Amino acid sequence: MRQAERIALPAEPVARPAWHLGDLSESNHWAYYLLLPSLLLVAMVALYPVASGVWLSFQRYNLLRAAVPSFVGLAQYADLWTDSVFWTAARNTVVWVTVGAGSQFLLGLIVALALNRPRLRGIGLLRLGLLLPWLMPTVVAGHMWSLLLDSRLGVVNDVLVRLGLLQGYVAWFAQAETAMAAVLVVDLWKNFPFFTLLLLAGLQGVPDELYEAAEVDGANAWYRFWRITLPLLTPVIVASVILRVIGLVNAPDLMIILTHGGPGLATHVLSLLAFNSAYTGFNFGAAAAVATVMLVVLMVFTSAYVRVSGVTRE
Amino acid sequence: MIRSRHQTQRLYDVLAYGVLLGAFTFAVFPILWTALTSLKANADIVTADIQYLPLRPTFQNYATLWAQAGFPTMFLNSAIVTALTVLVCLAVGISGAYSLSRYRFRARAQLLLFYLVIRMFPAVLLLLPIFIALRVLGLYDTHIGLTLAYTAFLTPVSIWILKGFFDTIPPELEDAARIDGCTRAGAILRVVLPLARPGVAATAVLIAISAWNEFLFALMLTTSQGIRTWPVGLQLMVGEYQLPWGLLTAGGVISIAPILLFFALVQRALVRGLTLGAVKG
Repeated sequence: MRQAERIALPAEPVARPAWHLGDLSESNHWAYYLLLPSLLLVAMVALYPVASGVWLSFQRYNLLRAAVPSFVGLAQYADLWTDSVFWTAARNTVVWVTVGAGSQFLLGLIVALALNRPRLRGIGLLRLGLLLPWLMPTVVAGHMWSLLLDSRLGVVNDVLVRLGLLQGYVAWFAQAETAMAAVLVVDLWKNFPFFTLLLLAGLQGVPDELYEAAEVDGANAWYRFWRITLPLLTPVIVASVILRVIGLVNAPDLMIILTHGGPGLATHVLSLLAFNSAYTGFNFGAAAAVATVMLVVLMVFTSAYVRVSGVTRE
Repeated sequence: MIRSRHQTQRLYDVLAYGVLLGAFTFAVFPILWTALTSLKANADIVTADIQYLPLRPTFQNYATLWAQAGFPTMFLNSAIVTALTVLVCLAVGISGAYSLSRYRFRARAQLLLFYLVIRMFPAVLLLLPIFIALRVLGLYDTHIGLTLAYTAFLTPVSIWILKGFFDTIPPELEDAARIDGCTRAGAILRVVLPLARPGVAATAVLIAISAWNEFLFALMLTTSQGIRTWPVGLQLMVGEYQLPWGLLTAGGVISIAPILLFFALVQRALVRGLTLGAVKG
């Protein structure tokens, strides 16, 4: 009712500004006018930088050495090809992304399935708590876990020793064998709720009638999951996996905060390599080359994944 | 053996509880531990035997943190950049998303896809030219410069989310307003925006949390104490002092507080957003 009243209000005959927004909106180009601000902004702060970044990868540009970039063609890509650090970082990135996305998806899915039982008591509080890690700033998440897993003060070590699972305290982030796993646990903690959030929304969109019909036909829970739930969730799964993979490939934040890529090169990934080249080495050309490689790999992965999964675009 | 349907359901409920309690502990314990640690004096943190509960709880860490290391300034810097980012993203996002939601024009599908593809751009690839451009423009190490950099990846996100909310508002309401003499712009301001307020609020909070938490761009694009945001400041404390756990955890707790507050707001907004379904019926 209140809505109807609001709509019924006649347009106020107030004094209009020199350029009439109302008049402008009556033009045939109104749809474009509305788009213009965001297009200009995105062109300025995203499109231009990326184009310029790719262009930078063909130039030698070290802020410390020369003020002017010089065109070197594919030389910096050739440098990468023969750089063993680049290949180590590439291998680590594969582990980081596959294990990271895989573990986060699995835990996220299991939690989403468990949360999708609205009759359970206390489900609201559980859902809220389960989302919290996703809201945490990476810096704080990093410090939290660096304290939890500390080699002298870490409560995780303490609990594991008390339970008899460990002989003595372990320096999780400082050992080559455990460092990657430890950072992966931190990222699992921080990002499984992302999958839970999206998959839960997807699950709630599955009509109950489908399950009831399947149950009448005698299908067991396992069969219902594989034949009803998963197929209907596929679009959500594909979209969430793509977004998460992009996040894992592109963000060196946790490595910067926790390990600096170490010990040795145990947690060195491509995004960190690119960031360090620019941030500590001021070698913008080389950094751009690494980042461009990442962009190309991501684009190939995404289009291949979309095609293989059989999800057709809108 | 034949189990009744009721029994099976009960079994699943127990199973679900088990999973949820385990995951809940995993999710919440680190946050709880951080909060507990922030209440301990340093002597109680660095001990041979780990103290699980603070035996002598104190707010000393909070007082020390607030008094030193320019923490209030960094907090203010974060607040300024966050507010500016939300403002810019909403201003251009609302109009762009509305257009994409309501009108059909050439290259619309491509434009939507393009806003999705932008998320693929590696942060570092964006960072380098933005760094160079901001230095040329004299915007390096300024609030405005950092804000502009944040809008690079947050504008496309807000457009997608807002478009989703606009899609749920039936166009018939605007048609009715136009019959009553509203201009198109008037219909947006008087009909669509009031109805979309929960969605706009939810979007604003998501942008705010992203900007508030952001670390990488802030690390690269700011350098002075007067501009630096809190995530960078907190991280640099690790280098300046010998792992000051009390200060670090206190800083963490203070910085999380606004996020939880914002999230509490968006939760209500989201619920209201869902009840908007009444408009559809």
